[in-house]
Amino acid sequence: MVTVTINVNGEKRTASVPPETTLLRLLRDDFNLTGSKLGCDVGDCGACTVIVDGKAVNSCLMLAAQADGRDVLTIEGLATMDRLHPIQKAFEKYASLQCGFCGPGVIMSAKALLDENPDPTVQEIRDALGGNLCRCTGYVKMIEAIQDAARILRDEPVEINR
Amino acid sequence: MRTFEFFAVKDSHDAVAVLAKHSVSSKVRVIAGGTDLLAELKFSPQSPNVVVDISRAEDLKSITLTDDGLSIGAVVTHSQIMQSPIIREMFPALANAAHVIGAVQTRNLGTLGGNLVTAVPSMDGGPTLMALEAIISIAGPDGRRQVPLNEFFVGPRKTVLKADELLAEIIIPRRNLGKPTHFLKFGLRKGQALALVNAAASFWVDWEKHTFVAPRIALGAVAPKVIRALQAEAYLEGREITPEAMAEAGRIAIGDAKPISDFRASAGYRRNLVGVLTKRALEGAYALAQAKR
Repeated sequence: MVTVTINVNGEKRTASVPPETTLLRLLRDDFNLTGSKLGCDVGDCGACTVIVDGKAVNSCLMLAAQADGRDVLTIEGLATMDRLHPIQKAFEKYASLQCGFCGPGVIMSAKALLDENPDPTVQEIRDALGGNLCRCTGYVKMIEAIQDAARILRDEPVEINR
Repeated sequence: MRTFEFFAVKDSHDAVAVLAKHSVSSKVRVIAGGTDLLAELKFSPQSPNVVVDISRAEDLKSITLTDDGLSIGAVVTHSQIMQSPIIREMFPALANAAHVIGAVQTRNLGTLGGNLVTAVPSMDGGPTLMALEAIISIAGPDGRRQVPLNEFFVGPRKTVLKADELLAEIIIPRRNLGKPTHFLKFGLRKGQALALVNAAASFWVDWEKHTFVAPRIALGAVAPKVIRALQAEAYLEGREITPEAMAEAGRIAIGDAKPISDFRASAGYRRNLVGVLTKRALEGAYALAQAKR
């Protein structure tokens, strides 16, 4: 067993897991953070996307032990009890999701993009979503929502939608 | 995935020590980004007993200019290559090649060293480095040894690395720093697609005679490993730079390639691509040479 401590969504959490445990399994099975989805489990679909030390990664391709000591942000870390994150809000407004299974991964990819690049072009958004497969929507409304969220985050960096 | 013993090492010496201790009696695998290895371990019947994590190895993380040339540490990620000012300045082809690997999530985890060690013939990290005659620095129990990249690959998923050795560094030799190079990939989609064929071309220009100097052409996904198009290179050496010469080099490169047919493309289609991509890679390298002049 290996002992893994990660700072997940601002909270320090520790678990003792078998070494072959992926970060995704740690989040879902040990920390009950089931927002990140198990899709393909080989890094093709992006449903498991989380942000580790500021970078979007496939949590199915990272061993939990490799995340030891790092900052991990999952979909559960975006909204507060009062309000959705502006990206989530925009996805709702634009009806960007249908079945929703890919949603947490897509939104985390968008979050990582907007953290690094507050004013992305459509091509840059498409590149950022290249590792997130959605079989329902065709991506167009996601891209519109991300553009809208980018605008909101740029104009009103704090205290929005209160 | 079956269980294994896990060691996270702090540097390459530590890694070599762990490999020396365990590689005799156990099946050991090294993990860096894990993007290839974890996908493999989940489905492969042959599980390792020991996994050595080098992703935090401090001495394998940097991109630096040394007396030997440009050194890229084994665990530098594709994203870091894309963003490195020195690589973008000296070798935009290398940054472009990094950008077409996988997707953002895999580029943030996956490493250039891992791309080479996995030794898949369609790897996008290989051709540019091969065209730049990169040297692989291997860490082992007796210290470091250096192997030219074109001798590093043995076949599909096979390299010269021994069980107690580790790819430590990728070195682009000093004589090739800033050499105009261009990389092209042809895949069936823009994102997350493996190359049907990829190609890199590199040469210096003798501006007085307007001729090719030290032309190097590397091709991926058309042989059991990334190869150099040696006949095409020989044809171009010292020849005047013209569109016709580049097109002819493309035709000759087809003879250097030995592609197979699979579900992605037929051998004939790949042969055609070799001609087109070789010509375009040469054109791209020439455009860069003109811009740098």
